[in-house]
Amino acid sequence: MTHIHIPDGVLPVWLWAAGWLLTLALLALASRFAGRAGSRRAVPLVGAVSALVLVAMSTEIVPIAYHINLTVIAGAFLGPWLGAISAFIVVLVLSLLGHGGVTVIGLNTLVIAAEMAVGWGLVRAGLRVFGARRTRAVAGVATVLTLALTTTMLVGIVALAGSPATERETGALDPDTLRFESPFSDGVVTLGLLSGGEHDEEHAAEEEHTLSVGRFAAVVYTLGPVGWLLEALVTAGVLGYVVGVRPRLVIAGVFAESRRTRYGDEHGGH
Amino acid sequence: MDVTAIDRSAVLGSSALHRATPASKLVAATLVIAGVVAANDPVALFGVLLALAGGAAALRLPLRSMWVLALYPALFALVFAFAAAPGAVTALLIVLKAVTAAFTVVTLMFTTPYPQVFAPIQRITPGIVGDALLMTYRSLFILAEKLADLTRAVRLRAGVSARQPLRSAKATTRALGGLLLYSFDLAQREYDILYLRGYEGGLRVTPRRSASPAADAGAVLAAALGLATIALFRALPSLAGYSWIAAVTGAVACAIGIMYGRRHR
Repeated sequence: MTHIHIPDGVLPVWLWAAGWLLTLALLALASRFAGRAGSRRAVPLVGAVSALVLVAMSTEIVPIAYHINLTVIAGAFLGPWLGAISAFIVVLVLSLLGHGGVTVIGLNTLVIAAEMAVGWGLVRAGLRVFGARRTRAVAGVATVLTLALTTTMLVGIVALAGSPATERETGALDPDTLRFESPFSDGVVTLGLLSGGEHDEEHAAEEEHTLSVGRFAAVVYTLGPVGWLLEALVTAGVLGYVVGVRPRLVIAGVFAESRRTRYGDEHGGH
Repeated sequence: MDVTAIDRSAVLGSSALHRATPASKLVAATLVIAGVVAANDPVALFGVLLALAGGAAALRLPLRSMWVLALYPALFALVFAFAAAPGAVTALLIVLKAVTAAFTVVTLMFTTPYPQVFAPIQRITPGIVGDALLMTYRSLFILAEKLADLTRAVRLRAGVSARQPLRSAKATTRALGGLLLYSFDLAQREYDILYLRGYEGGLRVTPRRSASPAADAGAVLAAALGLATIALFRALPSLAGYSWIAAVTGAVACAIGIMYGRRHR
């Protein structure tokens, strides 16, 4: 629930366009910093971890409309810069598979990149303070805190969408311009959804004119903790397993684990 | 999500849409999504969705797999609509927007091999992003298959049982942990391959030429027609009561598409 499952054409154009611009700036910055690790090393690693996150995200827990993200794990291993690249890739591929809108790719990237960066920071700091023996607890707490933060980001985005700035014609979903009338409503067909031509004004008066941020926040903060808990348990279980099998991978990081310098490749190859 | 079904259809398919250039299909998809963004009439949008489905049926695309993917976001859109929509009509429109946009991109992916879809994205993003994108899609197939194997193995060894949820959860997280380690090993192998091949950044994809200019024009025209329909109902509020015409036209197009597809199977 932390990334936006909002379809295209619901958020105002200025909001998702700003999301795209910020994401492009973030990607430019991230690729500059990520290049320091060597693109030859970074490309396959980002590819494999992004694919792992995609596999996890495509497995849905139907009753609560939740899927595991593994973004904190991805962030913990990739770090904030490679994490930002991975976030963009994950969101892009998901949207091409119909999961998430195309216009909200920018905003979704920002939310998931934040999730990976915060997850990385909290897991690294936690391991430094409490040591590898407490990996499970550190991972669980870091996941809950990260998801709570990014869920708040999500609510903030919807709040921005519901602000007076969106009430003008922006191309976004605007209940003021919503049309739903039937020429048959005078008596030929007056059932259910097809009725309404004569009631339009009443309905318009009844309906609010913006997205209900309060209700959205209430639903998200009610369903969210169930998801946070599940994600925290999975993250704790997975990192606990990895620290038991290959501790150096968690403690020193992926690059330290996989670094095998070859002749002529001392800098990882750019 | 069966990613192999998408790739199989994109690579092995031979419909008119498969013969069109990826560029024209991307333009067509963009036009339809612009229509989805602009749509403010659920009936007109439903008409466009029906027409799209009719087109896919006429081209004999794997509709069942496509609908599974296209309806998936409807579940999340329903939650969002329930949580944030100011009324039932808005909620219906939100769900229809999700399904129509998803069906559009899914149609694109079922008729276009992924490197061809990613090629234009590679041009506008930094090199490392474009290359990692191609690597991700390649790894996705490998990891999805590996996860299926791992899950099967865990189940065969009675690791997952409804009566013992704790043990099941442990086995599942261990399987995910195993998959994580496997993904690092996969990354290392891919790094070795890139090293051997002298990769210096910049995996290039050559854009495919059109095998059927008529298919290019048809795809773009059909998409433009859908966008025009939606724009018409948005621009002229006096037509609001006649959007049922768009829905009926879409339903007729859908029925004709299904019959055509069945006859030419």
